[in-house]
Amino acid sequence: MKPKVLMMAVLIAAFAAIDRPSFAHHGGTAFDITTPVVLKNAVITEFLWINPHPLIKADYKDDKGNVQQWTMELGGLVGAQLIGWTRTSLQPGDVVTLYVWKAKTGALVGRFNKVDFPDGTTMRDSQTGADDGGRSDSGQRN
Amino acid sequence: MRRTSTVGLAGVAGVLLLSALVTAQNTAPSTAPRSPWKYYPEDARANVGPGGPAPKRDLGGTWAGESSGAGVKGPVRPEREPPLTPLGKQLWDRNKAESRGVLIADSNDPHLRYCDPFGFPRNMTDQIRAMTITSLPDRVFVLILFQTIWREIWTDGRALPANFAGRGANVHDPTYNGYSVGRWEDDYTFVAETTGMAPETWATEAGHPHSVEARVTERYHRSSKNDLTLTMTMDDPTLYTRPLKLGEIYFRWIPSQTFFNTTCIPSSLQRYLKEMADPAGGASVAR
Repeated sequence: MKPKVLMMAVLIAAFAAIDRPSFAHHGGTAFDITTPVVLKNAVITEFLWINPHPLIKADYKDDKGNVQQWTMELGGLVGAQLIGWTRTSLQPGDVVTLYVWKAKTGALVGRFNKVDFPDGTTMRDSQTGADDGGRSDSGQRN
Repeated sequence: MRRTSTVGLAGVAGVLLLSALVTAQNTAPSTAPRSPWKYYPEDARANVGPGGPAPKRDLGGTWAGESSGAGVKGPVRPEREPPLTPLGKQLWDRNKAESRGVLIADSNDPHLRYCDPFGFPRNMTDQIRAMTITSLPDRVFVLILFQTIWREIWTDGRALPANFAGRGANVHDPTYNGYSVGRWEDDYTFVAETTGMAPETWATEAGHPHSVEARVTERYHRSSKNDLTLTMTMDDPTLYTRPLKLGEIYFRWIPSQTFFNTTCIPSSLQRYLKEMADPAGGASVAR
Protein backbone atom coordinates (compact mmCIF):
# COMPACT_ATOMS: atom_id res chain seq x y z
CA MET A 1 0.00 0.00 0.00
CA LYS A 2 2.83 2.38 0.72
CA PRO A 3 3.86 2.95 -2.92
CA LYS A 4 0.21 3.62 -3.78
CA VAL A 5 -0.07 6.19 -1.03
CA LEU A 6 3.20 7.73 -2.16
CA MET A 7 2.03 7.97 -5.76
CA MET A 8 -1.24 9.57 -4.69
CA ALA A 9 0.74 12.12 -2.68
CA VAL A 10 2.92 12.86 -5.71
CA LEU A 11 -0.13 13.33 -7.92
CA ILE A 12 -1.85 15.60 -5.44
CA ALA A 13 1.32 17.64 -5.09
CA ALA A 14 1.66 17.90 -8.88
CA PHE A 15 -1.89 19.23 -9.30
CA ALA A 16 -1.49 21.56 -6.35
CA ALA A 17 1.67 23.00 -7.84
CA ILE A 18 -0.19 23.91 -11.01
CA ASP A 19 -3.27 25.45 -9.41
CA ARG A 20 -1.90 27.34 -6.47
CA PRO A 21 -0.20 30.71 -6.50
CA SER A 22 3.32 31.26 -5.29
CA PHE A 23 3.28 34.76 -3.87
CA ALA A 24 6.72 36.14 -4.46
CA HIS A 25 5.98 39.36 -2.73
CA HIS A 26 3.72 41.02 -0.23
CA GLY A 27 1.66 39.23 2.29
CA GLY A 28 1.46 35.72 0.89
CA THR A 29 1.11 34.14 4.32
CA ALA A 30 -1.92 36.28 5.11
CA PHE A 31 -4.22 34.43 2.70
CA ASP A 32 -5.97 31.09 2.73
CA ILE A 33 -4.83 29.53 -0.53
CA THR A 34 -6.60 26.20 -0.15
CA THR A 35 -9.65 27.23 -2.21
CA PRO A 36 -10.42 30.56 -3.86
CA VAL A 37 -13.67 32.25 -2.91
CA VAL A 38 -15.87 32.69 -5.99
CA LEU A 39 -17.85 35.92 -6.26
CA LYS A 40 -20.39 35.46 -9.05
CA ASN A 41 -21.97 38.55 -10.60
CA ALA A 42 -19.77 40.86 -8.59
CA VAL A 43 -20.01 44.53 -9.56
CA ILE A 44 -16.76 46.41 -9.90
CA THR A 45 -16.90 49.63 -7.91
CA GLU A 46 -13.29 50.78 -8.30
CA PHE A 47 -10.06 49.62 -9.94
CA LEU A 48 -7.05 51.33 -8.39
CA TRP A 49 -3.99 51.15 -10.63
CA ILE A 50 -1.49 51.83 -7.87
CA ASN A 51 1.79 50.77 -6.33
CA PRO A 52 2.70 48.59 -4.59
CA HIS A 53 -0.27 46.54 -5.88
CA PRO A 54 -3.34 47.38 -7.95
CA LEU A 55 -6.57 46.98 -5.99
CA ILE A 56 -9.93 45.70 -7.20
CA LYS A 57 -12.95 46.81 -5.21
CA ALA A 58 -16.25 45.10 -5.87
CA ASP A 59 -19.73 44.62 -4.43
CA TYR A 60 -20.98 41.05 -4.14
CA LYS A 61 -24.49 40.01 -3.14
CA ASP A 62 -24.43 36.85 -1.02
CA ASP A 63 -27.12 34.10 -0.88
CA LYS A 64 -29.14 36.12 1.62
CA GLY A 65 -29.10 39.24 -0.51
CA ASN A 66 -26.58 41.06 1.68
CA VAL A 67 -24.08 43.18 -0.23
CA GLN A 68 -20.46 42.46 0.68
CA GLN A 69 -17.82 45.04 -0.16
CA TRP A 70 -14.62 43.29 -1.21
CA THR A 71 -11.09 44.54 -1.77
CA MET A 72 -8.43 42.40 -3.42
CA GLU A 73 -4.89 42.95 -4.64
CA LEU A 74 -3.12 41.90 -7.82
CA GLY A 75 0.57 41.17 -8.20
CA GLY A 76 2.95 44.03 -8.92
CA LEU A 77 2.24 46.57 -11.64
CA VAL A 78 5.10 45.49 -13.88
CA GLY A 79 4.07 41.84 -13.89
CA ALA A 80 0.45 42.81 -14.48
CA GLN A 81 1.31 45.12 -17.37
CA LEU A 82 3.46 42.44 -18.92
CA ILE A 83 0.51 40.08 -19.21
CA GLY A 84 -1.88 42.60 -20.64
CA TRP A 85 -3.38 44.49 -17.71
CA THR A 86 -3.95 48.23 -18.01
CA ARG A 87 -5.65 50.74 -15.76
CA THR A 88 -8.86 50.24 -17.77
CA SER A 89 -8.98 46.44 -17.73
CA LEU A 90 -11.72 46.67 -15.12
CA GLN A 91 -14.14 49.55 -14.93
CA PRO A 92 -16.83 50.57 -12.43
CA GLY A 93 -20.09 48.86 -13.28
CA ASP A 94 -18.51 45.78 -14.87
CA VAL A 95 -20.37 42.63 -13.79
CA VAL A 96 -17.89 39.77 -13.53
CA THR A 97 -17.00 36.62 -11.62
CA LEU A 98 -14.04 37.11 -9.31
CA TYR A 99 -11.88 34.40 -7.75
CA VAL A 100 -10.02 35.48 -4.65
CA TRP A 101 -7.84 33.92 -1.95
CA LYS A 102 -9.46 35.31 1.18
CA ALA A 103 -7.50 36.73 4.12
CA LYS A 104 -7.17 34.42 7.11
CA THR A 105 -8.47 37.23 9.32
CA GLY A 106 -11.91 36.76 7.79
CA ALA A 107 -12.02 40.34 6.54
CA LEU A 108 -13.47 40.80 3.07
CA VAL A 109 -10.05 41.29 1.53
CA GLY A 110 -7.84 38.91 -0.36
CA ARG A 111 -5.42 38.10 -3.09
CA PHE A 112 -6.97 38.24 -6.54
CA ASN A 113 -6.76 35.00 -8.52
CA LYS A 114 -8.67 35.58 -11.78
CA VAL A 115 -11.69 37.28 -13.30
CA ASP A 116 -14.19 35.80 -15.74
CA PHE A 117 -15.95 38.28 -18.02
CA PRO A 118 -19.49 37.79 -19.40
CA ASP A 119 -18.09 37.24 -22.91
CA GLY A 120 -16.26 34.14 -21.72
CA THR A 121 -12.81 35.71 -21.50
CA THR A 122 -10.54 35.50 -18.47
CA MET A 123 -7.75 37.59 -17.01
CA ARG A 124 -5.43 36.18 -14.39
CA ASP A 125 -3.15 37.46 -11.69
CA SER A 126 0.49 37.88 -12.61
CA GLN A 127 1.62 35.67 -9.75
CA THR A 128 -0.59 32.70 -10.42
CA GLY A 129 2.06 31.38 -12.74
CA ALA A 130 2.23 34.34 -15.08
CA ASP A 131 4.87 36.47 -13.41
CA ASP A 132 7.56 35.31 -15.79
CA GLY A 133 6.43 37.29 -18.80
CA GLY A 134 3.59 35.03 -19.74
CA ARG A 135 5.77 31.98 -20.18
CA SER A 136 3.58 29.67 -18.18
CA ASP A 137 0.19 31.33 -18.17
CA SER A 138 -0.84 34.27 -20.31
CA GLY A 139 -3.04 36.55 -18.29
CA GLN A 140 -4.39 38.25 -21.38
CA ARG A 141 -8.03 37.85 -22.18
CA ASN A 142 -8.42 34.75 -24.20
CA MET B 1 1.90 -2.59 -6.81
CA ARG B 2 3.96 -2.15 -9.96
CA ARG B 3 0.76 -1.39 -11.89
CA THR B 4 -0.15 1.24 -9.34
CA SER B 5 3.28 2.84 -9.71
CA THR B 6 2.96 2.80 -13.49
CA VAL B 7 -0.45 4.43 -13.37
CA GLY B 8 0.85 7.03 -10.96
CA LEU B 9 3.86 7.86 -13.09
CA ALA B 10 1.66 8.08 -16.17
CA GLY B 11 -0.55 10.51 -14.31
CA VAL B 12 2.38 12.73 -13.36
CA ALA B 13 3.67 12.59 -16.94
CA GLY B 14 0.21 13.58 -18.18
CA VAL B 15 0.08 16.55 -15.86
CA LEU B 16 3.53 17.71 -16.95
CA LEU B 17 2.65 17.24 -20.64
CA LEU B 18 -0.55 19.24 -20.23
CA SER B 19 1.38 21.97 -18.48
CA ALA B 20 3.98 22.03 -21.28
CA LEU B 21 1.26 22.25 -23.94
CA VAL B 22 -0.38 25.18 -22.17
CA THR B 23 3.01 26.87 -21.91
CA ALA B 24 3.76 26.31 -25.59
CA GLN B 25 0.37 27.68 -26.58
CA ASN B 26 0.79 30.79 -24.51
CA THR B 27 4.29 31.59 -25.71
CA ALA B 28 3.34 31.68 -29.38
CA PRO B 29 4.18 35.05 -31.02
CA SER B 30 1.30 37.48 -30.88
CA THR B 31 -0.15 38.78 -34.14
CA ALA B 32 -1.92 41.69 -32.46
CA PRO B 33 -0.93 45.27 -33.41
CA ARG B 34 2.08 46.50 -31.45
CA SER B 35 2.78 49.87 -29.92
CA PRO B 36 6.45 50.91 -29.74
CA TRP B 37 5.67 52.43 -26.34
CA LYS B 38 4.61 49.16 -24.74
CA TYR B 39 6.63 46.23 -23.49
CA TYR B 40 5.19 42.90 -24.52
CA PRO B 41 5.82 39.39 -23.17
CA GLU B 42 7.72 38.48 -26.34
CA ASP B 43 10.06 41.45 -25.72
CA ALA B 44 10.98 39.97 -22.37
CA ARG B 45 11.91 36.74 -24.11
CA ALA B 46 13.91 38.49 -26.84
CA ASN B 47 17.36 37.27 -25.89
CA VAL B 48 17.98 33.57 -25.56
CA GLY B 49 21.40 32.17 -24.79
CA PRO B 50 24.65 34.08 -24.33
CA GLY B 51 24.31 36.05 -27.59
CA GLY B 52 28.05 36.05 -28.23
CA PRO B 53 31.13 37.18 -26.32
CA ALA B 54 30.96 40.07 -23.91
CA PRO B 55 32.29 43.37 -25.27
CA LYS B 56 35.39 44.63 -23.46
CA ARG B 57 34.95 47.17 -20.66
CA ASP B 58 31.31 47.74 -21.53
CA LEU B 59 28.32 47.30 -19.21
CA GLY B 60 26.18 49.72 -21.18
CA GLY B 61 22.60 48.86 -21.96
CA THR B 62 19.37 47.87 -20.33
CA TRP B 63 19.39 44.83 -18.11
CA ALA B 64 16.51 42.74 -16.80
CA GLY B 65 16.59 41.33 -13.30
CA GLU B 66 14.74 38.63 -11.40
CA SER B 67 11.48 40.55 -11.03
CA SER B 68 11.42 41.87 -14.59
CA GLY B 69 9.22 39.19 -16.08
CA ALA B 70 12.06 38.14 -18.38
CA GLY B 71 12.57 34.79 -16.73
CA VAL B 72 15.91 35.76 -15.20
CA LYS B 73 16.97 33.27 -12.55
CA GLY B 74 16.56 34.20 -8.92
CA PRO B 75 19.43 35.67 -6.95
CA VAL B 76 21.56 34.20 -4.21
CA ARG B 77 20.02 35.97 -1.23
CA PRO B 78 21.90 37.81 1.52
CA GLU B 79 23.07 35.67 4.41
CA ARG B 80 20.14 34.79 6.66
CA GLU B 81 22.29 34.00 9.70
CA PRO B 82 24.41 37.14 9.75
CA PRO B 83 27.64 37.21 11.81
CA LEU B 84 26.51 40.00 14.12
CA THR B 85 28.27 41.91 16.87
CA PRO B 86 26.16 42.55 20.01
CA LEU B 87 25.16 45.97 18.65
CA GLY B 88 24.43 44.44 15.27
CA LYS B 89 22.16 41.84 16.86
CA GLN B 90 20.28 44.52 18.73
CA LEU B 91 19.53 46.36 15.50
CA TRP B 92 18.79 43.16 13.55
CA ASP B 93 16.23 42.09 16.18
CA ARG B 94 14.60 45.50 16.05
CA ASN B 95 13.92 45.28 12.31
CA LYS B 96 10.66 43.42 11.64
CA ALA B 97 10.99 42.29 8.04
CA GLU B 98 8.22 40.69 6.00
CA SER B 99 10.73 38.29 4.49
CA ARG B 100 11.44 36.99 8.00
CA GLY B 101 7.82 35.94 8.48
CA VAL B 102 6.29 39.19 9.72
CA LEU B 103 3.05 40.32 8.10
CA ILE B 104 2.95 43.75 6.53
CA ALA B 105 0.59 44.87 9.26
CA ASP B 106 3.25 44.14 11.89
CA SER B 107 6.33 45.20 9.92
CA ASN B 108 8.41 48.30 10.60
CA ASP B 109 10.07 48.19 7.19
CA PRO B 110 10.58 51.90 6.43
CA HIS B 111 9.87 51.38 2.74
CA LEU B 112 6.94 49.03 3.08
CA ARG B 113 5.17 51.14 5.67
CA TYR B 114 6.17 54.69 4.68
CA CYS B 115 7.58 54.68 1.12
CA ASP B 116 11.01 55.66 2.50
CA PRO B 117 13.76 55.12 -0.08
CA PHE B 118 15.40 51.71 -0.08
CA GLY B 119 18.84 53.31 -0.13
CA PHE B 120 21.97 51.45 -1.17
CA PRO B 121 22.71 48.52 -1.05
CA ARG B 122 19.08 47.38 -0.70
CA ASN B 123 18.17 49.03 -4.00
CA MET B 124 20.57 46.65 -5.77
CA THR B 125 19.21 43.46 -4.20
CA ASP B 126 15.49 44.01 -3.59
CA GLN B 127 12.80 44.25 -6.29
CA ILE B 128 15.29 43.92 -9.11
CA ARG B 129 13.29 44.60 -12.25
CA ALA B 130 15.17 46.68 -14.80
CA MET B 131 18.49 48.47 -14.67
CA THR B 132 20.28 50.60 -17.24
CA ILE B 133 24.00 51.27 -17.09
CA THR B 134 25.54 54.17 -18.96
CA SER B 135 28.69 56.22 -18.52
CA LEU B 136 30.51 59.52 -18.92
CA PRO B 137 34.30 59.76 -19.14
CA ASP B 138 34.59 60.22 -15.37
CA ARG B 139 31.73 58.11 -13.96
CA VAL B 140 29.33 55.27 -14.46
CA PHE B 141 25.61 55.74 -13.90
CA VAL B 142 23.36 52.96 -12.69
CA LEU B 143 19.68 53.70 -13.38
CA ILE B 144 17.28 51.51 -11.44
CA LEU B 145 13.67 51.14 -12.52
CA PHE B 146 12.17 50.35 -9.14
CA GLN B 147 11.53 53.71 -7.46
CA THR B 148 13.23 55.56 -10.34
CA ILE B 149 16.68 55.79 -8.78
CA TRP B 150 20.07 56.69 -10.20
CA ARG B 151 23.47 56.11 -8.69
CA GLU B 152 26.77 57.59 -9.80
CA ILE B 153 30.03 55.71 -9.47
CA TRP B 154 33.10 57.91 -9.97
CA THR B 155 35.89 56.48 -12.10
CA ASP B 156 38.24 59.49 -12.06
CA GLY B 157 40.57 57.98 -9.46
CA ARG B 158 39.31 59.86 -6.41
CA ALA B 159 39.36 58.18 -3.01
CA LEU B 160 36.24 57.45 -0.98
CA PRO B 161 35.42 59.92 1.78
CA ALA B 162 36.02 58.76 5.34
CA ASN B 163 34.88 61.52 7.63
CA PHE B 164 31.21 61.11 8.53
CA ALA B 165 31.27 62.25 12.15
CA GLY B 166 32.28 65.23 14.23
CA ARG B 167 32.08 68.89 13.24
CA GLY B 168 33.57 70.95 10.46
CA ALA B 169 33.25 71.73 6.78
CA ASN B 170 34.90 68.47 5.72
CA VAL B 171 32.37 66.20 7.37
CA HIS B 172 30.42 64.27 4.73
CA ASP B 173 26.71 63.85 5.16
CA PRO B 174 25.50 60.30 4.69
CA THR B 175 23.26 59.88 1.66
CA TYR B 176 20.74 57.24 0.61
CA ASN B 177 23.06 55.90 -2.09
CA GLY B 178 26.33 56.70 -0.35
CA TYR B 179 29.53 57.69 -2.13
CA SER B 180 30.83 55.36 -4.84
CA VAL B 181 34.04 54.89 -6.80
CA GLY B 182 34.79 52.22 -9.39
CA ARG B 183 37.44 50.70 -11.62
CA TRP B 184 37.84 47.90 -14.17
CA GLU B 185 39.44 44.89 -12.54
CA ASP B 186 39.79 43.23 -15.93
CA ASP B 187 38.12 43.65 -19.32
CA TYR B 188 34.89 42.04 -18.13
CA THR B 189 34.74 42.89 -14.43
CA PHE B 190 33.90 46.30 -13.00
CA VAL B 191 34.34 46.78 -9.24
CA ALA B 192 32.62 49.53 -7.27
CA GLU B 193 33.17 50.51 -3.63
CA THR B 194 30.59 52.51 -1.69
CA THR B 195 30.44 54.01 1.80
CA GLY B 196 28.59 56.76 3.65
CA MET B 197 25.10 55.29 3.30
CA ALA B 198 22.31 56.73 5.45
CA PRO B 199 22.26 54.40 8.48
CA GLU B 200 18.50 54.58 9.00
CA THR B 201 17.96 52.48 5.86
CA TRP B 202 17.96 48.69 5.83
CA ALA B 203 20.81 47.10 3.88
CA THR B 204 18.50 44.33 2.67
CA GLU B 205 14.85 43.35 2.44
CA ALA B 206 15.47 41.06 5.43
CA GLY B 207 16.40 44.03 7.59
CA HIS B 208 20.16 43.69 7.85
CA PRO B 209 21.35 46.88 9.58
CA HIS B 210 24.36 48.91 8.52
CA SER B 211 26.36 51.79 9.95
CA VAL B 212 27.48 54.89 8.07
CA GLU B 213 31.00 53.45 7.93
CA ALA B 214 29.85 50.29 6.17
CA ARG B 215 31.73 49.62 2.96
CA VAL B 216 30.02 47.72 0.17
CA THR B 217 31.88 46.08 -2.69
CA GLU B 218 30.02 45.41 -5.94
CA ARG B 219 31.59 43.20 -8.57
CA TYR B 220 29.86 43.34 -11.98
CA HIS B 221 31.03 40.50 -14.18
CA ARG B 222 29.81 40.33 -17.78
CA SER B 223 30.34 36.75 -18.86
CA SER B 224 28.70 37.11 -22.29
CA LYS B 225 26.85 39.69 -24.34
CA ASN B 226 23.58 38.82 -22.60
CA ASP B 227 24.67 37.83 -19.09
CA LEU B 228 25.75 39.99 -16.18
CA THR B 229 26.32 38.86 -12.60
CA LEU B 230 26.57 41.25 -9.67
CA THR B 231 28.24 39.93 -6.51
CA MET B 232 28.03 42.04 -3.38
CA THR B 233 29.64 42.02 0.06
CA MET B 234 29.43 44.49 2.95
CA ASP B 235 32.21 45.11 5.43
CA ASP B 236 30.88 46.81 8.57
CA PRO B 237 32.98 45.87 11.63
CA THR B 238 30.74 47.88 13.97
CA LEU B 239 27.82 45.53 13.34
CA TYR B 240 29.31 42.34 11.81
CA THR B 241 32.21 40.15 12.89
CA ARG B 242 33.23 39.50 9.25
CA PRO B 243 32.22 40.79 5.80
CA LEU B 244 28.59 39.96 5.07
CA LYS B 245 27.68 38.28 1.80
CA LEU B 246 24.86 40.29 0.24
CA GLY B 247 24.41 37.76 -2.52
CA GLU B 248 24.57 37.39 -6.27
CA ILE B 249 22.12 39.04 -8.62
CA TYR B 250 21.69 37.95 -12.21
CA PHE B 251 20.79 40.14 -15.16
CA ARG B 252 19.95 39.54 -18.83
CA TRP B 253 20.49 42.12 -21.55
CA ILE B 254 17.04 43.05 -22.86
CA PRO B 255 17.52 46.06 -25.17
CA SER B 256 13.85 46.90 -25.70
CA GLN B 257 12.94 46.84 -22.02
CA THR B 258 10.70 49.70 -21.02
CA PHE B 259 10.98 51.51 -17.73
CA PHE B 260 7.51 51.35 -16.23
CA ASN B 261 6.75 53.82 -13.50
CA THR B 262 7.06 52.02 -10.18
CA THR B 263 7.55 54.94 -7.83
CA CYS B 264 6.12 54.46 -4.36
CA ILE B 265 3.44 57.11 -3.88
CA PRO B 266 2.80 57.75 -0.17
CA SER B 267 -0.93 58.43 -0.62
CA SER B 268 -1.34 55.23 -2.66
CA LEU B 269 0.63 53.22 -0.10
CA GLN B 270 -1.48 54.53 2.78
CA ARG B 271 -4.62 53.51 0.92
CA TYR B 272 -3.16 50.06 0.15
CA LEU B 273 -2.21 49.52 3.79
CA LYS B 274 -5.51 50.77 5.19
CA GLU B 275 -7.84 49.00 2.77
CA MET B 276 -5.87 45.84 1.97
CA ALA B 277 -2.71 44.88 3.84
CA ASP B 278 -3.68 45.82 7.39
CA PRO B 279 -7.12 44.12 7.31
CA ALA B 280 -5.43 41.07 5.78
CA GLY B 281 -2.76 40.89 8.44
CA GLY B 282 -4.27 41.51 11.84
CA ALA B 283 -2.41 40.36 14.90
CA SER B 284 -4.72 37.36 15.27
CA VAL B 285 -3.52 35.76 12.05
CA ALA B 286 -1.63 32.53 12.55
CA ARG B 287 1.91 32.70 11.25
